[in-house]
Amino acid sequence: MQPWIRYVICGVAGLALGAGAAVQRVRTGAFGASTAIGPWTTGKDFGTAGASAYTRAVVSLRGILALPAHEARYYNAAVDSAGQPLDGKCRYRVTGKAIPAKWWSLTLYDHPGYLVANQANIFSVASAHVPNPASWTVLVAPAEQAGLWLPTGRIDRFELTLRTYLPDDGGAGNLTRDQLPSIVKEGC
Amino acid sequence: MRAWLMPLVLGFLLAVAGYVTAMMQFPQVLMGFATSRISKAAGYNTLFASPMATDKARAIVRPSPDLAYSSCPFDLVNGPVLVDVEPVPAPYWSLSVFDARTDVAFVRNNLDANNQPIRIAIAQDGQPVPDGMQAVRVSGKTGIALLRILVQDRAQFAAIDAARKKSNCKPLS
Repeated sequence: MQPWIRYVICGVAGLALGAGAAVQRVRTGAFGASTAIGPWTTGKDFGTAGASAYTRAVVSLRGILALPAHEARYYNAAVDSAGQPLDGKCRYRVTGKAIPAKWWSLTLYDHPGYLVANQANIFSVASAHVPNPASWTVLVAPAEQAGLWLPTGRIDRFELTLRTYLPDDGGAGNLTRDQLPSIVKEGC
Repeated sequence: MRAWLMPLVLGFLLAVAGYVTAMMQFPQVLMGFATSRISKAAGYNTLFASPMATDKARAIVRPSPDLAYSSCPFDLVNGPVLVDVEPVPAPYWSLSVFDARTDVAFVRNNLDANNQPIRIAIAQDGQPVPDGMQAVRVSGKTGIALLRILVQDRAQFAAIDAARKKSNCKPLS
């Protein structure tokens, strides 16, 4: 074999492997995966020049046009409080306390990040609809539930995104595990 | 085997280069797709008022179903683009500007603005903007200006929709 052929083979393979590894790492990345707090992941540098190349790439894939931390914080959960993937055929109790922000909302997405079809056309629960913001519960389930209900559409895997707008601390710190809602599976 | 040593070193170096290049280019490529998809609704340099997001929405990932979005995909190739936002009857609204790398070049909400209009000129370095206009300088020629409006009750949407359509986005010349 001619020496230049070996260089071409290794060069092309190297480029393809490197680019492929980057794409695969971004595709498997979670929205805001830089910090994990219980089942939630978050990041503070979305939309800023200080964001790492990896954060920037994952946010562009999973949550493009995300606002900077002083305007909104995003917390994403793909697992429950026991660390098990969120399953659209199961029922979960999401329980929270007062969230230090002007307003917040909890939205259910499929893994690519789109809203999930359901007969009730309910896609989120916002703070304005919570009777007691200091102690609230949302039931996430495929079938209709009494109280605040977020339908799963029976999809295999779903994610929950908690948006907190105008956080009290200007987005400087993360919500603690105690301030973030728990996600407890009640049955399938 | 020795004949493969230097080619393998080259392959390793190009793998690193390929990884870094792909990672760096990802946001710009996806932002380009997003800008292009949004522009299909009404074109560039004009503000398009999207309906409330449902499971049918595919223009942008992770849309908020609590927000009404009006978006202006901009192209500065012929000069600055002016964005004029009129207040809307909602507890929260904001204007943000994203450049081609997905960086936020500008964000202001109704509380910052005391519920007064927001008027900006999006421009690249070196492009003159009208006196009295706040210049928002961006890198790259394209990007998206986005108006977010909180809709607490969908029964309020008609009034909010009418009010948000008083805002506009247009080229300076």
